[in-house]
Amino acid sequence: MKRAAAKLQMQPETAAGTVTAKALRELVDLEAGRIDRRIFWDHGIYRMELERIFARCWLFVAHESQVAAPGDFITTYMGEDGVIVARGTDGKVNVFLNSCTHRGNKICHAEAGNKKRFTCNYHGWCFDTAGALVGLPAEELYQKTCPGFDKDELGLHRARVESYKGLVFATFDETSPGLDEYLGDYRWYLDVLLDNDEGGTEFCEGSIKSRMACNWKFPAENFAGDSYHAAWTHNSGAVAMLGQGVGKSNQEKSYQMNVNGHAWQFGLDMVGNAMTLGEQDIVDYLRERESKVAARLGKIRSRMVGAISSATLFPHMSFLAGHSTFRTWHPKGTAEIELHTWVLVNKSAPDALKDKYRNGVMRTFSPSGTLEMDDGDNWENASASNQGVVTRRQKLHYALGMDSRIEHEELKGVLHLRKYNDSNQRAFYQRWLDLMCKE
Amino acid sequence: MALVLGDNPALKKPLPPQPSPLPPMQLVFEVQQFLYREARLLDEERYQEWLGLMTGDIHYWMPGIQARYRKDKTPRLDPKRMALFDDDMLNMRRRVTRFLDATAWAEDPPTRSCHTISNVEVELTPRDDEFKVYSTFINCRGRGETEEYWLTGRRTDLLRRAGDGTLRLASREIVMTQSVLLAKNLNVFL
Repeated sequence: MKRAAAKLQMQPETAAGTVTAKALRELVDLEAGRIDRRIFWDHGIYRMELERIFARCWLFVAHESQVAAPGDFITTYMGEDGVIVARGTDGKVNVFLNSCTHRGNKICHAEAGNKKRFTCNYHGWCFDTAGALVGLPAEELYQKTCPGFDKDELGLHRARVESYKGLVFATFDETSPGLDEYLGDYRWYLDVLLDNDEGGTEFCEGSIKSRMACNWKFPAENFAGDSYHAAWTHNSGAVAMLGQGVGKSNQEKSYQMNVNGHAWQFGLDMVGNAMTLGEQDIVDYLRERESKVAARLGKIRSRMVGAISSATLFPHMSFLAGHSTFRTWHPKGTAEIELHTWVLVNKSAPDALKDKYRNGVMRTFSPSGTLEMDDGDNWENASASNQGVVTRRQKLHYALGMDSRIEHEELKGVLHLRKYNDSNQRAFYQRWLDLMCKE
Repeated sequence: MALVLGDNPALKKPLPPQPSPLPPMQLVFEVQQFLYREARLLDEERYQEWLGLMTGDIHYWMPGIQARYRKDKTPRLDPKRMALFDDDMLNMRRRVTRFLDATAWAEDPPTRSCHTISNVEVELTPRDDEFKVYSTFINCRGRGETEEYWLTGRRTDLLRRAGDGTLRLASREIVMTQSVLLAKNLNVFL
């Protein structure tokens, strides 16, 4: 059956690598707050994104809890490259291409599990949990008839791997700075989620995957800082979960923060996002823990734990910090993504509470969720409308909150006052532009 | 030695059918009519009447589907894994509340949904008032101009006869064929 999404794939306009830095800077005019729609539909630009963003950035690939034991693995994507994330017998997490070095067949067809060896279905080449080639049928013939045959050279192509407090990242760029530098002061904010409890965090089991016919940047920029859409887009979901629409928030007590293109918009209301899960026990849990979290992270970050907020870790990992939904938007073309979603919980939380988190997140932020359902419609239509040749020439407006920069004695990163603000989205596209202009 | 082609010890043998008691035809008819009517209520967006077909202790479950190897010892469907629906009556009412809200933008213009229900099998249980019912569904959703989403799968229901003599849905397990949902949302009950 042909999917609607496939019809949205635009015709190639430019070959990869032919859009110059000068042209890109004209498309993304952040001083004027105008962005040309071409960055959402042009195939050449999309190919450049895969090469200059997804093949270079540190990309979130897994939570360590998903590959807790030696042999545990998941399969996922880095850009459009399929990868296996596997815990080796030495306890280290490895990330390598899910494509045989012999004829290129996909090696692992399961999305999760535990294996000592990954054996290709085609000719039986066999790789270990670090991606090394450890065996192949008729190996003696290879030894005899292939001059210089060396199994060590035929392992699966590996990515660099580093992690931050449970989140595993990988990059195919062998020369870029490490993860700590990539994240910078964003780590101080990530600790709100990852380090508010001494036991650390885990993902609930499983994940929900779905496809959307939209450009990957629309959901990424939305989570980066689009607090503005919430009250309007999600009114019906809020009525369902809270019994009333999204309340008017005090803009002067809310913030947008960005660092290195990573973004987080938040209030300090402590429970606003968590309340949308519809579980009183979760709100009680957060309230009970407030002083403990304050002792650990300080008062201001203790007010962020369940607060109304959204965030994108550049380029494609997003979460609602106060709500525990975690997701990645994998690019699959100019107007197609694969969405993977998970639920983050404190490891030490009671099992019954973890169940409530899992169900609450799924009920609101999964394809069937009362809040997410209206997002997909917006992003698909924002992508599809660019099929029109006149429509696609019109620029989009990103100029809200131009002069809202503030300094704060505690809050780190580049800070802007008011969460109704495009500053995080401009920061997202500034990082996009910097990477795209770098040959 | 030359292989003799034909029957060989590796070939699997047919198994004789296992006889099972036939449920009364009247009951099967009643269950079918219940399921068809339920499907029509959904297609006509009569969600409150649809909720009225459920028991107060309804469990409505649609697990996420994972592609895992056959050797994998973990259950194929695990209540601990993430699910598209894992709801009691309160949460079903929340979902219905969103569908019926005037600001549910993704429902306006309305999504056009058609549920086709088939392969209905009724099994008697140790309780006189409860029946296990298997069925399959094909659901097609049309939205806007040309959007079209197909979803198919199997359902296992528990139907319970209420005090007034009518059937109610007490639990439903929905197993779809897609592991990556090929749609931007699942704005439909199945």
